[in-house]
Amino acid sequence: MKKWFATLKTLIWKDLLQEWRSKDMLTAMLAFAILTIFIFNYAMELDPRTRASLAPGILWVVITFSGTLGLNRSFVAEQEQGSFDALVLAVPGLGSIWLAKQITNFLIMLLLILIILPIYSLLYNQNLFNPALIATFVLGAWAFSAAGTLLASMSSQSRMRDLLLPVMLFPILMPVNMAVVKAGEGIMNGLAFASYQNWLLILLVYGIIMTTISLMVFDYVILE
Amino acid sequence: MGWVQKVFYFHVGAGWLGMLAFAVAMVVSIIYLRKGDLKMDAIAASAAEIGFLFSIITTLSGMIWARPSWNTWWTWDPRLTTMVIMAFTYLAYFLLRNGMDNPIKRARFGSIYLIVGFITVPITFFSARLLRSIHPTVFSSNSGEKMAMTAPMYQTMGFSIFAFTILFVFLLILRSQLRMEEQKIKDAEALENEIEFGEVNNG
Repeated sequence: MKKWFATLKTLIWKDLLQEWRSKDMLTAMLAFAILTIFIFNYAMELDPRTRASLAPGILWVVITFSGTLGLNRSFVAEQEQGSFDALVLAVPGLGSIWLAKQITNFLIMLLLILIILPIYSLLYNQNLFNPALIATFVLGAWAFSAAGTLLASMSSQSRMRDLLLPVMLFPILMPVNMAVVKAGEGIMNGLAFASYQNWLLILLVYGIIMTTISLMVFDYVILE
Repeated sequence: MGWVQKVFYFHVGAGWLGMLAFAVAMVVSIIYLRKGDLKMDAIAASAAEIGFLFSIITTLSGMIWARPSWNTWWTWDPRLTTMVIMAFTYLAYFLLRNGMDNPIKRARFGSIYLIVGFITVPITFFSARLLRSIHPTVFSSNSGEKMAMTAPMYQTMGFSIFAFTILFVFLLILRSQLRMEEQKIKDAEALENEIEFGEVNNG
C-alpha cells in the first residue's frame, strides 16, 4: 500500500512537471477562459441586478469549457511518445495511472479557478471570494475531473478524438452542472446553508461514485 | 381530457420501454466486461438502439400531450429534461462506437460508457427533482401528487406496459440476431481478403 502511494506521488509529479515545462495546456485553458468571459459580457450585457446570482453559472460554464480543452490533452503526450506501454509495465496496479491523471487534472482545474475567480471579480466589480462558493467549485472540479478523465482516456483512443469528448462528457456531467449552478445561486443570493446543502451532497456523492467506477473499469480501458 | 388522454397509454409504455432498454443494456454491459463475449456486446448495442428510439418516441408523444394540457410544447421540467439528456447519452454512445476500429475496444468502451451513463441518469433525475415538477406522477407514495385514475385506466395502462415489454423482447432478439449476422459477414469478408491478398501483404 505504501508503495502504491509512492507510485501515485511519482506519477502525479511526472504529469505536473511535464505540464510545468511546456505550459501548453494551462496557457490555452486560461486564454480560452478569459475570452469566454468577454464573449459572455457581449452576449448577455449583464444587468448589474441579476448579475450577482448569474455569476456562479457563468463561471462554471467558463470553467467546464476550458476544462474540457485541457482534458483532451491529458492523454496525448503518452500516445504521441508511445510511452503508455512502458508506463503500464512499470506501475504496480493500473488504477494508480488513472488516479494520478485525475488528480493532475483536478489540480490544474483548481489553478484555473484560482486565477479566473479574481479576474472575474475584478472585471465585474463583484467579490466572489466566498468560502462556500469556493468549496462548491472545488467539489465541482473533483466531480468534473473524475468523469472527464475516464471519458478522455476513451475518447483519445477513438478516431474522432477531441470532437467526441464534449459530446460524451456533457450529458454525463448534467447533475454536476445543475448542482454547482443551483448551489452557487443560493450562495450568491445569501440563502441559508440548509437550502443548498442537498446540491453539495449531490456533488460529493457524484465525485465518489465516478472515482470508484473509474478505478474499477480503468483496466479495461488501457489493456489490449 | 378527452381524446388527448389516449396519448398517455403510448407515452407511458414507450417511456417504460426506454428505461427498461437502458437498464438491460447496462446489465449486459457488465456481463460483457466480466466474460468478454462479443455476443453480449451485440445485445447491449441493440438494447441501446431500441432505448434511444423509444426515448425519442416518449418525448414526441409527450409534446403532443403537453400542447393541449400545459399549453406549451416544451417546458423545463425534470422529467422532460432527464429524458432528453438520456437520449443524448445514448447518441454519444453510438458516436463512440463508430469511432472505434478495433472491435474488442469498441465493445469495452461502449460497455463502460453504458454503465457510467446509466448511473448518472438517476442522479440527474434526482437532482432535477429538487427543482419543482409539474409532470403528473402515476407511481407515487404521496397521494396528493398522484394522478386521478379510474380502474379501467389502470388496466389499460398495465396492458400497454405489458405489450411494450413483449415488443421490446421481440425487437431485441431480432436486432441482436441481425447484428451477429452482420458481424459474420464482415468476418467472412476479412478472411476472404486475407486469403486473396495475404501473400502480397506478407511480402
